[in-house]
Amino acid sequence: MYPLTLTKDGERVEVQSLNCQHDDVYRLNEMGCVQGAKGTIISNQDNVILQVGETRLAIAGNLAKSIFVTSLN
Amino acid sequence: MKTPLTIALVGNPNTGKSTIFNALTGLRQKIANYPGITVERKVGTAIINGVLHKVVDLPGAYSLNYKKLDERIAYEALIGSYEHEESPDLVLVVADATNLDRNLFLVTQIIDLNLPMVLVLNMMDEAEGKGISIDEKALEQNLGIPVVAISAKQKESIEQLKHVIGSITPGRSTPLKWLTDSNLKKASELVISEWIEPYTDIPERARTIEALRLISEGEFIGAFYTFAEVEKGKKVIAKARAIIEQNGGNPLATEVIQRYDFIGETTLDAAVQNSENKKTLTDRIDAFVTHKVFGPLIFTFVLLVMFQSIFSWSAPFMDFIDLVFVGAASWVANALPPGMLNDLLVEGVIAGLGGVIIFLPQIIFLFLFIYVLEGTGYMARAAFVMDGFMTKVGLHGRSVVPLMSGFACAIPGIMAARSIENWRDRIITIMVLPFMACSARLPVYALLIAAFVPSTTVLGIFTLQGVTFFGLYIFGIVMAVLAAAVMKRIFPTGKQTPFIMELPSYKMPKWSVVVQNTLDRGRVFVVEAGKVIVAISIILWFLASFPEVGSEEYETNALPTESIESYELRHSFAGRFGQIIEPAIEPLGFDWKIRIGLLTSFAAREVMVGTLSTIYSIEDDGEDISTLKEKLINDINPETGQPVFSLATALSLMVFFALAMQCMSTIAIVRRETNSWKWPVAMFTYMTVLAYLCSLITYQVVRVL
Repeated sequence: MYPLTLTKDGERVEVQSLNCQHDDVYRLNEMGCVQGAKGTIISNQDNVILQVGETRLAIAGNLAKSIFVTSLN
Repeated sequence: MKTPLTIALVGNPNTGKSTIFNALTGLRQKIANYPGITVERKVGTAIINGVLHKVVDLPGAYSLNYKKLDERIAYEALIGSYEHEESPDLVLVVADATNLDRNLFLVTQIIDLNLPMVLVLNMMDEAEGKGISIDEKALEQNLGIPVVAISAKQKESIEQLKHVIGSITPGRSTPLKWLTDSNLKKASELVISEWIEPYTDIPERARTIEALRLISEGEFIGAFYTFAEVEKGKKVIAKARAIIEQNGGNPLATEVIQRYDFIGETTLDAAVQNSENKKTLTDRIDAFVTHKVFGPLIFTFVLLVMFQSIFSWSAPFMDFIDLVFVGAASWVANALPPGMLNDLLVEGVIAGLGGVIIFLPQIIFLFLFIYVLEGTGYMARAAFVMDGFMTKVGLHGRSVVPLMSGFACAIPGIMAARSIENWRDRIITIMVLPFMACSARLPVYALLIAAFVPSTTVLGIFTLQGVTFFGLYIFGIVMAVLAAAVMKRIFPTGKQTPFIMELPSYKMPKWSVVVQNTLDRGRVFVVEAGKVIVAISIILWFLASFPEVGSEEYETNALPTESIESYELRHSFAGRFGQIIEPAIEPLGFDWKIRIGLLTSFAAREVMVGTLSTIYSIEDDGEDISTLKEKLINDINPETGQPVFSLATALSLMVFFALAMQCMSTIAIVRRETNSWKWPVAMFTYMTVLAYLCSLITYQVVRVL
């Protein structure tokens, strides 16, 4: 399990835990980034673009640090 | 349905909600603000089977757990507790068919409200293109609500939707189908029976939603309600959370996970995704547009093209508007007998209105660009690409576009700052935005640079004049960044909102929406800013025109070379005020003529040139700047025998113009956007004080050099 900031472009990941503030957890949740969701890293260059389902989420680096995932590759 | 209904449209952002609203209501719509706040309220009427229904387009929301003011309005309007919105008879929940799971999150929450509702699956054509097929009947069965699948861009789709609205008998949905976890159920029932029901006035249909919210949040943060027995409530909530925790659950996440589990089961047999992991066009474009290096470059290029176009496209329209107002002024001047009313209309009202309307073309073109960029999906990328830099200087990724708009005109920029969700980020953006060198400063810069900065060549290809010009722009940007950094420290920090944004797929903008939104912005500008400007223009006109001077007085008292206009101005209230503030302004190097120019230019910066022209008694035929320029160069102070303008004076004056808040349209729009006089007053004060200090330093330093 490692933070979203350490993923590689194109990597398939599963979201394991969201260790950020409640408000941000909820914002991520309602956009589909929820514990157990599977997604693809579109790009990771300081900020991360994560695709979950058909939603493409741009996430600031400081928030991405607190999102932990496991690799599905 | 034969009875008139109040129909509410809700849905996530980017689901085509506005397109459906426009298609249903056509031109029968009204846009206003909710009382006391700047969230827009869109209401219209739709005639279906001869019955007139009222349609309300509620603000976009990802869920009912509101974090933002506009989401709160959507929520409270739905549960019928928002006093400025009647509760709906029918809710149309618009969902993006290409992104069904995510959109169904909001749908499950609305189902829980036990309201008559229809799920409108929009963008079916795009879903098909992506290989997604959706079984509406299965979805209807699983969710327990009627489902209509449409593509809002197609006419037949809207007819189909109207048919559904016209023919259904609104029944009730079955709430809480997703809630299978007995612990969460127990916990929420506990909160309702031991606290919400006895101690709050939360409407019955919203009780479960509120209970679940409280269990997840664990306390009352962010709740807009104020309750009496908060301590009691906290105990009950802690008890409820304990029920979940004892059984190994996480109170924060249990609700969300269960909703998504339910959604997963719902769409399992109802929605099939055929193609997977194919590189889409969006992927290919994003590889460049969001790239660490190319991204900012592309963004800069887009901005350059945008501003160049705004400048060159608006020019003919602005000339035309100028011509119309000059024509109107001379027509009125001739049609009415000379006298006070004539002067007031010509010099006060028409001149003031003209000064506003002249910016309309720039505003229209700017917003046209902004809405096109937004419609294609690029805007989210621009904010994303610039977020790192903007955060460092105390702003937010979303501040980029408003700030850049400020180069054309602060007014559309301030209006565009609405897209910034965090109030503090938005206020800081608005407060520093007028430092961006807007087009109204151009005439003043051009006049003074041409007259007082030598056109020496520097570095081979540039002239000192060009460098000064560029330097003034950079100066504005630097001051904006510094001011933002300072304000970041001053303002109560609250919570940082880390950048999370949905990047929608690229698509062609919907032109009717683009045009309609752009025209709305233009209308808002003319009506709202216009009201204030006309009032202030009249006051300024009065101050500059009274007390009146008889021709006898002029002949006996005027200086030998002075025209009657010049004499009148010097003895008007404005002129006298200019003399009163002389001790304060003199250290900046400005004489009484510049002082009057400064006073009048507090209405609008470009007025300075006109005022100086009047004072220097030039026949102002077609803004003949070169003659004014020579007058400025040759003007000698009768007392000292020195030229009135030196390089130090000119630089000091330009610094003043770069920093001072001399634009009543901006004041008016800040008042409107922040809904308080506090911010415009603060803005005016700090910018003017800053301008004074910097101008003072500039004059005193350059004079000594």
